[in-house]
Amino acid sequence: MYLDFLRKKRILLVDDEQALLDMVSSILVEEGFSHLKTAKTVREALDMAESFQPELAILDVMLPDGNGFDLLRSLRQTADYPILFLTARGEDEDLFRGFGLGADDYVVKPFLPRELIYRIYAILRRGYKEEAPIVHLAGSDIDFDRAEVIKEGEHIPLTAKEHTILSTLYRNAGRIVTLDALCQAVWGDNPYGYENSLMAHIRRIREKIEVSPSKPVSLMTIKGLGYKLILRG
Amino acid sequence: MKNISKLIKRFIGLMMLTSVSILVINFIALAFLVSSQHGNSSPWKMAGQAAECMEKSGQDVYMREDMAETLHSLHVWAVYVDNTTGACIWHSDDLPDTVPLKYTASDIAAFTRGYIDGYPIFTGTGKDGLLLLGYPKDSFWKHLSPSWDYRLIANLPKLLLLVFGLNILAIFFIYMVANTKLLKSLKPISEGILALHTGHPVSLREKGLFSEISANINRASEVLQEQKQLLKKKEMARANWIAGISHDIRTPLSMVMGYAHQLEGSPHLSEEERQRVEVIAKQSQRMKNLINDLNLVSRLEYTMQPVRLRRINLLSAVRQVVADFINLDIHGNHPIHWVTNDDLRSLMIEGDEDLLKRAVSNLIQNSITHNPSGCSVYVSVEKRQQDCTVLVADNGRGVTQEQLDRLNNAPHYMSCEEDTTLQRHGLGLLIVKQIAAVHKGRVLIRHSTYGGLEVRLCLPLLSEDAVG
Repeated sequence: MYLDFLRKKRILLVDDEQALLDMVSSILVEEGFSHLKTAKTVREALDMAESFQPELAILDVMLPDGNGFDLLRSLRQTADYPILFLTARGEDEDLFRGFGLGADDYVVKPFLPRELIYRIYAILRRGYKEEAPIVHLAGSDIDFDRAEVIKEGEHIPLTAKEHTILSTLYRNAGRIVTLDALCQAVWGDNPYGYENSLMAHIRRIREKIEVSPSKPVSLMTIKGLGYKLILRG
Repeated sequence: MKNISKLIKRFIGLMMLTSVSILVINFIALAFLVSSQHGNSSPWKMAGQAAECMEKSGQDVYMREDMAETLHSLHVWAVYVDNTTGACIWHSDDLPDTVPLKYTASDIAAFTRGYIDGYPIFTGTGKDGLLLLGYPKDSFWKHLSPSWDYRLIANLPKLLLLVFGLNILAIFFIYMVANTKLLKSLKPISEGILALHTGHPVSLREKGLFSEISANINRASEVLQEQKQLLKKKEMARANWIAGISHDIRTPLSMVMGYAHQLEGSPHLSEEERQRVEVIAKQSQRMKNLINDLNLVSRLEYTMQPVRLRRINLLSAVRQVVADFINLDIHGNHPIHWVTNDDLRSLMIEGDEDLLKRAVSNLIQNSITHNPSGCSVYVSVEKRQQDCTVLVADNGRGVTQEQLDRLNNAPHYMSCEEDTTLQRHGLGLLIVKQIAAVHKGRVLIRHSTYGGLEVRLCLPLLSEDAVG
């Protein structure tokens, strides 16, 4: 399964507080992540990065021998894996906005474990694609690599826009994706006025993935807000 | 500078009044003085009377005894000159030696106008001759050529009026020049005082007539600026202190929150234990909200929060907040209903998207927090004629009318100067009010038609929409 593939990624945790490292580790371990290393200083983190070759780094901003932003710059000099910041300063949001620093995401402390896990999955999904991610829905499977839907043994091709819509929904599986977010994913930065087109695309996607498109069970409408993709199992 | 022109008007009025009254007073004084001069002692009158006192018996001419006495006591000598011969026919005993006793017509013409040997002479006409009275030297001054151009005298009233007018004009001019200079030097002072109360720093030139006042205004300004600086420093310190505390609480709270939520899902807990953990999780969530709010409130309060106003789609911002809440609703007992009219496709406003999202999420969070046993939350966005509103309502327990009035009107304890132990409520609503304020909008709180509380965040439309 795709999630298992993501859970095998090597994650480096950097925070000066041992208790926090323990807690985040326990959250990740419980979620099924198996390759974790921790570091408490910039020095340790740089050494660890070299030996451990992480595929995702979760960094605190305030470290005893430097700050997370400088650490990020050093790490980025050698490798380009995704980086997520854990920050205790609300004001840092200003710095993260637009991720001008090259961070992929940030989470402000204190955070809900679910929120952290969700962000980690989202980042990993963006960064690492499984060889053949086949997504299983109630009445069909989606093969994103080949851009086709397999329903009752039949291979139905997806258009580029349908592929974008479905993969956006899939990255947020089980969660509402707003109309605006979907339009932005498909039509870019000025996504206003495309709601009708979006509805037409959704209708066509349903014809491809749902067993009975008029009574959808996988691609759900959340009235007025957006859509939600429900995975099987 | 309204006051300056008022001042000038008043100065001119005062000046006019002063000059006119001084002139009037002078005239009265002069008239009084001159009239007192005309009394009994007028020498011409005396000469006339004395001439009438000249008596004749046969060839002898003499003055009546009483008049002679009077003249003597006044140290006045007298000479009686015969009309035909011009010779002295009588003289007083105290006649000085230097006075001649024979007079020609030209002599008479000369002394009538003037003096004999320095004695001022006054004449009176008797029956047979001319009586000369010689007053003591330096007792009178005589005008030797008492004649004027007739036109001058005829035009005297006009001339006096002209002179009077010219005088007034001259005084007015002097006054104006002097006052304008004065007012000119007053102008920077009045401007300085104006700047003082608007709180701008003032630095006046400490020179000229009002240097002392200028210097004092400068001192006052310095003191005010210092106090302003001090206050700002204090506010900054307070905001930084709050930021520091909230920072320090975040990490330990992360652990409480993290472990509590983790434990909630543990299969090894009894039902009772699970409920307790749930309380810990919920309360730590509340603390998290409080800390976030506290920091933002103090930053907004002390305008340390940069507000980035851009054209944004309010509808999509609110939609995102609602979707996030639905996605994160852990317990499912606070269902959120999107009740915006489907016809509304987009709603562009000028706003800071992050702050507005924060406001809406605070309103939803408020409904959830104040109804721990569960309630439905209804969110909608409306475009109205005069503004656009985000409406967050719930069917929870609501508030009493009294509480409602207080929520709408009473200042929050953060911005209240009195003892506030009675009116503690969360920061959520204060933030919403502050965010509404930076968008020039407002917050209306009412009883909801759904049964609970309804909060309306009203924001101004884009100006082109308001016109169209």
